[in-house]
Amino acid sequence: MSQIPVFFLHGLAYAGLLFLVSAGLTLVFGMMNVLNFAHAAMYMLGAYFSFSILQRFTGQLWISMIICPILLFILGALVERFLLRRVHKFGHVQELLLTFGLAYIITELVKWYWGNYPLAVNVTGFLNSTIPIFGITYPVYRIFIFLCAVCVGLIMAFILYKTRLGIILRAAVNDSEMANTLGVNVPLVFMGVFAFGAALSGFSGVIAGPLLSTFPGMAQEILIDAFVVIVVGGFGSLGGAIIASLIIGELQSFGVLLFPNLSIALVYLLMAVVLIIKPSGLFGETE
Amino acid sequence: MNQKHTPFVPIIVLAFLIAGVLPAFLKLYYLNMMTEIIIFSLYAVSYNLLLGYAGLLSFGHAMFFGLGAFATAVAIIRIPELSLWNAILIGLVMAVVAGFVLGFLMLRHKGAYFALLTLAFNALFYAVATKWHSVTGGDDGLSITRPALDLGITSFSLANLTSFYYLTLVVVGAGMVFCWYFTQTAMGKTVLLMRENEERMKFLGYNTHVARLILFTFSGAVAGLAGSFYALHFQFVSISAISIDMTTAVLLMTFVGGTQKFWGPILGAFVYIILQNYLSDITDRWPLFMGFIFVFMVMFIPGGLSEVITKIQQRLFRKGNGNDDQPVSVEEAIS
Repeated sequence: MSQIPVFFLHGLAYAGLLFLVSAGLTLVFGMMNVLNFAHAAMYMLGAYFSFSILQRFTGQLWISMIICPILLFILGALVERFLLRRVHKFGHVQELLLTFGLAYIITELVKWYWGNYPLAVNVTGFLNSTIPIFGITYPVYRIFIFLCAVCVGLIMAFILYKTRLGIILRAAVNDSEMANTLGVNVPLVFMGVFAFGAALSGFSGVIAGPLLSTFPGMAQEILIDAFVVIVVGGFGSLGGAIIASLIIGELQSFGVLLFPNLSIALVYLLMAVVLIIKPSGLFGETE
Repeated sequence: MNQKHTPFVPIIVLAFLIAGVLPAFLKLYYLNMMTEIIIFSLYAVSYNLLLGYAGLLSFGHAMFFGLGAFATAVAIIRIPELSLWNAILIGLVMAVVAGFVLGFLMLRHKGAYFALLTLAFNALFYAVATKWHSVTGGDDGLSITRPALDLGITSFSLANLTSFYYLTLVVVGAGMVFCWYFTQTAMGKTVLLMRENEERMKFLGYNTHVARLILFTFSGAVAGLAGSFYALHFQFVSISAISIDMTTAVLLMTFVGGTQKFWGPILGAFVYIILQNYLSDITDRWPLFMGFIFVFMVMFIPGGLSEVITKIQQRLFRKGNGNDDQPVSVEEAIS
């Protein structure tokens, strides 16, 4: 029975990672109505940047945690300003196609520069140690991931619901024309949101590197899971993303323990069930 | 209405005639490529029924293509003495069933949500194909031999490429003509008008859900047929047939060729396969080039190559009204 806490904590760690990825995705979607297919590719880019940084500064994960989000923030801002904004007038299909094409290009560039094989990212010091918890010894790093996710979630909720910036953001979502008329620079807000989403994906990539190792398929893997989180939680809902991340993280973890042969299908089954019962997702607004 | 489309019939006949005499001139390598192009043309045409005609952006078309391919391959391996037609039919039926069930689930949503769902379900199919080793062969794939073509009175061996090329030309070509015919039926036009103004179509008494489901199932079935021929052509199916890369491929073909014209995706398949063959000789990075071409086209030529060609045509021949031969334009559908 000592397995249960282990798998529970594994599930929590993966849930934290899923939340970090899907929060950015759902934020950008909620604000700009753009489903960013390149989000996971940016997450992968974050992980690879972190790998290169850690090769120079061994074990200094905090350097990656600061630099990678900044790099991705700049990249996100450039993408929004020079690519996404131009196709905006052609409609949503075009925006989706653009982000899909970008994801394709980023993946190919990563394969070109870093090679088409897994690269191990190692952490050292306290993060690499284990601590006793629930009567078992457990790696600190996985708990660290979960705590990161909690912090990011709290910060996002605080900004959105307790600050003036949050009010502006929510106003721009609700009625961007009206917000524009009232003197809010809506294009700038959108650029900031997209760049913030990119930075968040970069941050989650840095965090994911040591846990899952860095490889060119990592983007697609997490993208599908993050999509399932969004479908289950409801589009554009931060609270839904939290709950759905927890459900799917634990489901994946215990799925491996209880139904090893079915584990890959469990997540999709959950998605299909939610689609049948409540198509808008657990916390989504009905269309 | 019929008169307006008479120019299409000679073009179709001409295309078949040209394709029919090709084996006399082409080397085996190019004939191989030509067969591939025909199969992928059908795949791209089926995709464009969703993207161009219904405005549904799907990232999961490979699940039908792969399902058709795997169903045909597994049937040939598992059922001894299975005739070619039945093998293809099994692939087709599987694709129809999958299209109906998945369409029922996914078509509750539109736009980005639909795109996301299709990608997720494609990932499910891929995961199942990878893990279900006893049936799909997993990473190793499945090798098959083409059964002989049984015409009732006589039967042909399809071992050599030329005879298989003719079979592909006839069956897959007929599939494409049927798709074109579908777009000209009342059903096809309903879908087109729904894309433009769904509220109004509902108001006029059309059941838009059913129409969309029929289109989705039809498109899936056609992709399944293309998949069956893909399996028969290569005599090998790997999990790449059902992977998201295969969806990306069809998306690139369709988009590069252009979604506004029925023949756009066919042109796209030509360009894609030929580019793939030449670029992959020169560089390992050809997907990167395709990616750049794709993003460039999304940004600057959203109508694809067919739009460029149509514009040049209009310049040269100074056609007064550009809607003469646009199967997807609304003006024509309601006339």
